[in-house]
Amino acid sequence: MNRLTADTFRTSHDKFVPYIMSCDPSYEASIEIALALQEAGVDAIEWGVPFSDPLADGPVIQEAGERARASGGSLSKAVEGIKEARKRGLTLPVVLFTYVNPVLSIGNDRLVDQMKDADIDGLIIPDLPFEESRDLRELCGSADISLISLIAPSSKHRMKMICELGDGFLYFVTSLGVTGTREHFSDELENTLQEVTSYSNVPVLAGFGISTRDHVRFFQTVADGVIVGSALVRFIAEREKELSSPIKKENALSEIKQFVQQLIS
Amino acid sequence: MAPLLKFCGITSKTDFAQAVASEADMLGVIFAKSKRQVMPHQVAEWKEAYPLSKRQKLSGVFVNEPVSKLLEIVKVAKVDAIQCHGTESPDEVAEIKRRSGLDVFKTIHHHDESISEMRKYEGIVDGFVVDTKTADAWGGTGAQFDWKAVPTYEHEAKRQGVPCLIAGGVTPDNVLKLLAYKPSGIDLSSGIETNGQKDERKMNSMSKAVKKTYQAPDSFGRFGPFGGKYVPETLMYALEELEEAYLSVKEDTSFQQELLKELKEYSGRPTALTYAERLSNYYGGARIYLKREDLNHTGAHKINNALAQGLLAKKMGKSQIIAETGAGQHGVASATVAARFGLSCKVFMGAEDMRRQSLNVFRMRLLGAEVIEVHSGGKTLKDATNEAIRHWVANVDDTFYLIGSVVGPHPYPQMVRDFQSIIGEESKKQIYDRLGRLPHEVVACVGGGSNAMGMFYPFLNDDIALTGIEAAGKGIETDDHAATLTKGRKGVLHGSLSYLLQDENGNITEPYSISAGLDYPGIGPEHAHLRDIGRVHYEAATDKEAMAALEDLCKLEGILPAIESAHALAYVKREAANRHNDEIILVCLSGRGDKDVHTIQEVLGGNEE
Repeated sequence: MNRLTADTFRTSHDKFVPYIMSCDPSYEASIEIALALQEAGVDAIEWGVPFSDPLADGPVIQEAGERARASGGSLSKAVEGIKEARKRGLTLPVVLFTYVNPVLSIGNDRLVDQMKDADIDGLIIPDLPFEESRDLRELCGSADISLISLIAPSSKHRMKMICELGDGFLYFVTSLGVTGTREHFSDELENTLQEVTSYSNVPVLAGFGISTRDHVRFFQTVADGVIVGSALVRFIAEREKELSSPIKKENALSEIKQFVQQLIS
Repeated sequence: MAPLLKFCGITSKTDFAQAVASEADMLGVIFAKSKRQVMPHQVAEWKEAYPLSKRQKLSGVFVNEPVSKLLEIVKVAKVDAIQCHGTESPDEVAEIKRRSGLDVFKTIHHHDESISEMRKYEGIVDGFVVDTKTADAWGGTGAQFDWKAVPTYEHEAKRQGVPCLIAGGVTPDNVLKLLAYKPSGIDLSSGIETNGQKDERKMNSMSKAVKKTYQAPDSFGRFGPFGGKYVPETLMYALEELEEAYLSVKEDTSFQQELLKELKEYSGRPTALTYAERLSNYYGGARIYLKREDLNHTGAHKINNALAQGLLAKKMGKSQIIAETGAGQHGVASATVAARFGLSCKVFMGAEDMRRQSLNVFRMRLLGAEVIEVHSGGKTLKDATNEAIRHWVANVDDTFYLIGSVVGPHPYPQMVRDFQSIIGEESKKQIYDRLGRLPHEVVACVGGGSNAMGMFYPFLNDDIALTGIEAAGKGIETDDHAATLTKGRKGVLHGSLSYLLQDENGNITEPYSISAGLDYPGIGPEHAHLRDIGRVHYEAATDKEAMAALEDLCKLEGILPAIESAHALAYVKREAANRHNDEIILVCLSGRGDKDVHTIQEVLGGNEE
């Protein structure tokens, strides 16, 4: 059963979905971070796959990807990590976030099989636009995995078309540009978000650049929830050493939990 | 481009419907006295019942019809074009054109003086139809003239900048023979009939034969399975906007004229075609001709595309240009164009490339561009491209991304190819003018592949060998190469699907070549397609082979080529001797080697005082 389309996720208010990079700083640490996030009370987890050329990402996530690759991270390793996290009690919806090229490398069929086996609920591929996504969308559909579409303020006449096939949730990109924390958001966002929400049958989550409690609060009022990436990934990066130390690890995990709880509170 | 296809002599509503449904670009109805004569009101009724597709035109054929009568018929029948099939004088044709406001084609009847006949209509007509004249009829008899004359007609029509349709005795059975003479259009009447009626089967087989010529990409920018638009949603609108702007200037004569003026007066086109006699003698075998893109302003073919995209940026009202560069040639070309057109310019360049190409960094800054140092990844071209795309995503409103090769998301591969096609078009004309024939083989180096695509594209439908040369670096058996087609596998980088150098997890690996301009891990998607359909042959040349060929050209012809171009020459060195000395190899000398002198000095040990 896909947890994104289940009532628990669909109807929950003020959704908060954190992004973490698989294998950053290590395979083991990313699993433990996921479990800590579950304890912190998040609604789902976006599980990033390290890639050499992540076009949609800013420096924080790029660097996380480099660290992850150095520690043996890859698409297969990310899927394996989720499977392991499930074994250790991760019950939240999990969405795999990767790029087209690693997917091509493994093959659509094989990836969907592996995702199914790891009990993954959704898939986001930021450089796979709507027009190129038909084959994978059908494949995911038959495996009950949501292929999540991105929608941007510049989507204009494409908005309706993208919304109509929305599955799991829609990822609304709050600003042009790459991922990364920001101070301000465009004033027109509220109207655009309203338009998107009116076309969509699934929750609309806002992401890109959301880093403070105030941002979270604002987007939770104008959208169905938020996705927070870079701010958390940076917080994790600052604890790289601690997360690798058997003694200091617990403390680092609890700091991560607190960081997220503060954002949600 | 596929030749224009015209189905003429339509006499019934059924035949008309079939022709509309076919792939014909033009339908012809005859208003002159003949066995296929039709009435204007009939035609109007058919047209009403079966509207033509957007790309189709309906032409009315007349033989020496008084002008006022002709205009009356045209008005009733609602045709889109007029074909004067008799002995109408240039003055009469001009009057018809002026008063009808329609496109006018003139039929030239094949005889000894036909070319001088065509010249009389220069600047007046929109195209020619060359037909056979028999004693008792003006055409439509199924009689063929000697098709060996077709290239001469085409040459004259091309000089006048109009199409030339070949008529007379063309049938599905002989059309392939005619296609070998490269007509720009084919006009059929009795050839698609059975027992006096148009035959759907014959029409289809004709369409298939004529239209199967190379026509990539499709509307979504795919060359076979390659190409496409693999970019974040945030860029989709910008690409659509760019595509629309590009398609509008493609057909816009004033834009094309402005571009031509810049290419001619600023960049120095047409570039020379040089016969490398001493090099030919030294290599033995084929005669080697060089297309001298090194003689362009800023030293390479890159300026062709930069000027065109710069003009497009201006037309789109963008105030900022961004570009990525590896070796620096495209960066210099972009900075140059920005200065010329008064636009601001940011050039993204990997920190490692900035170190290797410090002279070009200085040149770009001198031209007023801001050079942005990229520290991510391997700090080379691939990473500079990522950063340029990221910057574009955040600033699409006022920023034009000037991509330097036939790579990136649609419409870039098509647009850059079209802008670079001037290389092949000029070459084709120059070599034809000088030798009266096409070369046997055309060779160009391939990194991203823009000089090669520009050179190859106008030759794709010709029966000649096309060869692209990749950088084999220290050898394709080592890890140090940039031979994407030889060693890569399908993948997506920088917005399009092509062949890529990558590891088992789909991470892009660092390429290597002595030439900074060739060490790109991907290749233009059209090259991938042309390789897979077998139209272009690709080989690789090592650093060592390239440097040896570079020395040969310096010493024997007094030309210092860019190391990129030397890769193409290295292949010629291998291949020339296998060919007879009446065969011709044409090489694109994509750029000059001044920018590479430091590398050349290090390798060839010329640093002794």
